[in-house]
Amino acid sequence: MKLYASLFAAGLAFATSAVQAEAQRTGEMMANTCAACHGTQGRLEALALMPLAGMEQEEFIRAMTDFRSGARPSTLMGSLATGFSEAEIKAMAEFFAAQPLK
Amino acid sequence: MQRRDFLKLLGAGTLAGSGLVGRSAFASAAPHVVIVGGGVGGATAAKYIKLADRNVRVTLIERNPIYIRPYGSSEVLTGHIGMSDLEVSYDALKNRYGIEVIIDTAVGLDPVKQEVATAGGSRIRYDRLIVSPGIQLHYDAIEGYSKEVAETRIPSGWIPGSQTQLLANQLKAMPQGGTFVIVAPGGPYRCPPGPYERAALVTEWMGRHNPTGKVLILDPKDGFVTDQTMILGWNRLYGFNVPAKFREGMPTEGEWPMRDYAEPSRLAWVPASDGGTVRRIDPVRMELEADNGLHRADVINVVPPMTAGKVAYQMGLTDEKGWCPIDRRTHESAIHPNVHVIGDACIADAMPKSGFSANNQGKVVARAVVDLLAGRPTEEPLWKNTCYALAGSEYGLYVADVFKLKDGKIARINGARYLPLDATRAQIRTGAVYQQAWMKTITDDSFA
Repeated sequence: MKLYASLFAAGLAFATSAVQAEAQRTGEMMANTCAACHGTQGRLEALALMPLAGMEQEEFIRAMTDFRSGARPSTLMGSLATGFSEAEIKAMAEFFAAQPLK
Repeated sequence: MQRRDFLKLLGAGTLAGSGLVGRSAFASAAPHVVIVGGGVGGATAAKYIKLADRNVRVTLIERNPIYIRPYGSSEVLTGHIGMSDLEVSYDALKNRYGIEVIIDTAVGLDPVKQEVATAGGSRIRYDRLIVSPGIQLHYDAIEGYSKEVAETRIPSGWIPGSQTQLLANQLKAMPQGGTFVIVAPGGPYRCPPGPYERAALVTEWMGRHNPTGKVLILDPKDGFVTDQTMILGWNRLYGFNVPAKFREGMPTEGEWPMRDYAEPSRLAWVPASDGGTVRRIDPVRMELEADNGLHRADVINVVPPMTAGKVAYQMGLTDEKGWCPIDRRTHESAIHPNVHVIGDACIADAMPKSGFSANNQGKVVARAVVDLLAGRPTEEPLWKNTCYALAGSEYGLYVADVFKLKDGKIARINGARYLPLDATRAQIRTGAVYQQAWMKTITDDSFA
């Protein structure tokens, strides 16, 4: 919950300063862009790529944050993660956590 | 912004994300969305409209009963896959999502009556129309080249089909020590890294089957998407000497440095500034006249100039350059209201013309069309593009982009978009594994 609160605060700060005028996007709109690799609504089986449906929010957020900082090696996720704010990562995390595995 | 509003925005994704069990805005009198073109863009749009609201009636008009996917089709040349591996069925769209698939050719549009005309004589009324016309190749734009030459002697295969198989056969039959020439395109074209990946895969294949053979890329450009990372792969795998312009930042020590070679590589690239622009092709003598002189070839592969597909012209959706202007937020045509254009044919600014872009545009247009039909405000869009490309069958690299609307245009907003030049062997090998997995994941996300 503390993590949630600090991420929320970070997201709010981001939303109100750097990109004040920027419109917000839904988690679904952003998460759909992941589906060409990670499966429709994050559902994927028996492939080298990672399914995202049902993933714990904290795990998704940690993965994206570590890809973005370079702490976690990747192929192209490091490039993509730099395109998302804390709040946007959180919104995608909520979307995927709510998706059924099957 | 109020804290409560912000929370609501954060939560909106979860509420809307209920997919197939989503609530419908259309209890009765369901609106009809017609989609012309069953490539990646059209198929994805059809499927994602149904995911957003099952009650919308969706009709897909496509001229071929089986889709032949262009992405990955260079792997047919090297025998890694066969032509049948490129085939994609429309059965899942029909049976799983309830999309009506009509095999017919759309030939015109009545934007006032809101009807699509087909070659089969049907007139199909729509509330919203999505056109995903793909590309057409302008063979005649190069002197000496034509559709007839492409189908018999000097294949293109940039739209996969019989020319792809012809090119594969020619490569196999090429004499030992022969020369394989790829003519790369200039202006906007489908699959920006594609000609260079194809050159790499053919070079790799020759290492095993025709070790004295040569691959020559003649190019009317001085750079290409993924260029520095692809060129590093060529250096490591085929002894290609990195041109001065691309040497900055290349690894010179460590586990896998760039090297300089005394002997020329069996792969050569002639950019525009070195005279790579091809002016004329002689299909009888198998010669190409470029700015730097005459080249004799045993096999020639041409990626000719291209524009939006023919149906986009027939519907009056193109501008003077042959591409389709749109409102980027909704992909609605700047020419005809209630008509949306997606995929390679639309003018999408910083987005490369790729299957991944078409897939993402299909989703953005699906959401926009459902919202417009329901009288709701449209959502702020976001798009990605990722293209994995191979410098060799075990050497994966990529371009990866995130796009947002900026001042009415689609702008790239993420940081570095290419494989880091200091990427490890494990990252590179993993990229090749993911490239193969992606062939299935994007096909499933779009068609199944």
